[in-house]
Amino acid sequence: MDITWGALASHEIAWGGIIAFYLFLAGVAGGAFLTAALTDLFSKNRQLKVIRAGAYIAPVAIIIGLAMLVVDLGKPFSFWKLLLYVNFHSVMSIGVFIISIFTAFAVVYAYLVWMAAAAEKRIKITLAGQEMAAAKATGMQVLRKPVALLGSLSALGTATYTGFLLSAVTTNGLWHVNFLGIEGIPFLPILFLVSAISAGLAATLIGAVDCSDLTAYKKADIVLLAIEIILLAILYTSVKAAFFSGGMATLFWLGVVVVGLLLPLVLAIYGVSTHKNLVLPVCGMVVIGGLCLRYFVVYSGQLFK
Amino acid sequence: MAKQYVMVIQASKCIGCQACTVACKFQNEVPEGQYRTKSPAVGPTGTYPNVKLYFEKEACQMCKNAPCVAVCPTKASYHNEDGVVLVDSNKCVGCKYCMTACPYDARFINEETGAADKCSFCYEHRVSQGEKPACVSTCVGGALSFGDLNDPNSDVKKLLDKYKAEVRKPEFGTHPNVYYIYEGVK
Repeated sequence: MDITWGALASHEIAWGGIIAFYLFLAGVAGGAFLTAALTDLFSKNRQLKVIRAGAYIAPVAIIIGLAMLVVDLGKPFSFWKLLLYVNFHSVMSIGVFIISIFTAFAVVYAYLVWMAAAAEKRIKITLAGQEMAAAKATGMQVLRKPVALLGSLSALGTATYTGFLLSAVTTNGLWHVNFLGIEGIPFLPILFLVSAISAGLAATLIGAVDCSDLTAYKKADIVLLAIEIILLAILYTSVKAAFFSGGMATLFWLGVVVVGLLLPLVLAIYGVSTHKNLVLPVCGMVVIGGLCLRYFVVYSGQLFK
Repeated sequence: MAKQYVMVIQASKCIGCQACTVACKFQNEVPEGQYRTKSPAVGPTGTYPNVKLYFEKEACQMCKNAPCVAVCPTKASYHNEDGVVLVDSNKCVGCKYCMTACPYDARFINEETGAADKCSFCYEHRVSQGEKPACVSTCVGGALSFGDLNDPNSDVKKLLDKYKAEVRKPEFGTHPNVYYIYEGVK
């Protein structure tokens, strides 16, 4: 129906690609931080390259994401009002504080990791600087474990928040769907959390690609991909078919399912410990799949609400 | 006693003249290409001798349970003392969360202010001065009625008692304050 008398009933998309990309970056940042911090805290043979890659990716991703968020505002220069006027009934208002806290932790943690790395380098170079560098490093490094632990909580909060942001829109049939129809358990926070950890882990492994033994991480990746496939199957059966139609069909089946999940899963199982050169394509596809998932959910939810 | 302002739209009396669309533009200085209200044609549907066409006035539905107010992170969207949903453009940062939440596509980002904008029932400039909204005052066919539902002598109360009225998308539980009477057109 395209009768324009009285102005065409337009269905503009309020949140477009910038928001989808921001949600993706927030997820990657949270996942990368968790990968680094959990390795730092609990791994016996602490893979320094993994810790460093994750620790550096997190602040960069979240800061770029926040910049995109601000640019997308109708009034970019008034973003500070989000901190001044608070509505505890609004998921976004709560999220502003969760993400701010996470960003602070991500920056501090990256700094601590960088300082330790720099100190290590200096020790190797000059024997004279050894004592001074070591003393300086240990002084601040006592903070590292608490920062990793508390930062992990805020990273979990950030990754989950990106789902809650959308699931709180009660009028949206795709975003507001419940997990297996259980009242009070929204679906998207679960899906976005798993996807965030998966994409963040993948991005971190790309950064640590020349690391000797990544088997444990690859196994974790396989488990996450399998969980995501199950979650998407649940989503597919929980909402109306229209959300997977039109231009969104290609994005979902090709981008999210084939490139983001099936291909990397098959490749990862095939080469879980032997084929080192599979890390890059597998992780690259997982990251792209994570981006496609955010685009799909953001657009389809608004197009077919 | 608190007021409950409602608008009642009788589709059978609307001739699609668009005087409401234009009056709103005058009153509220809405930027070009943007609308606080529109009245697009619905139809024509059916085949002779049962062809139908009517106009449906679209604008903010002034929900009692407003999704836009619930999601707003800065409380820029709010209910005033008379139950009217308004936007404080100074508090609004333009995040568009309200636009994703509104099931009626009633909101837009004002190109000039950058803030969320929508129908205000002309509250500030007209209704609070005892006048009716600009669209209601100008309506040629008398299709639009406005008033306080808590006042038993108001036009809107009488219309809603007499006719079967509907709200748009009741399944969302938003409880709008804009009612549609489709008698004679549906």
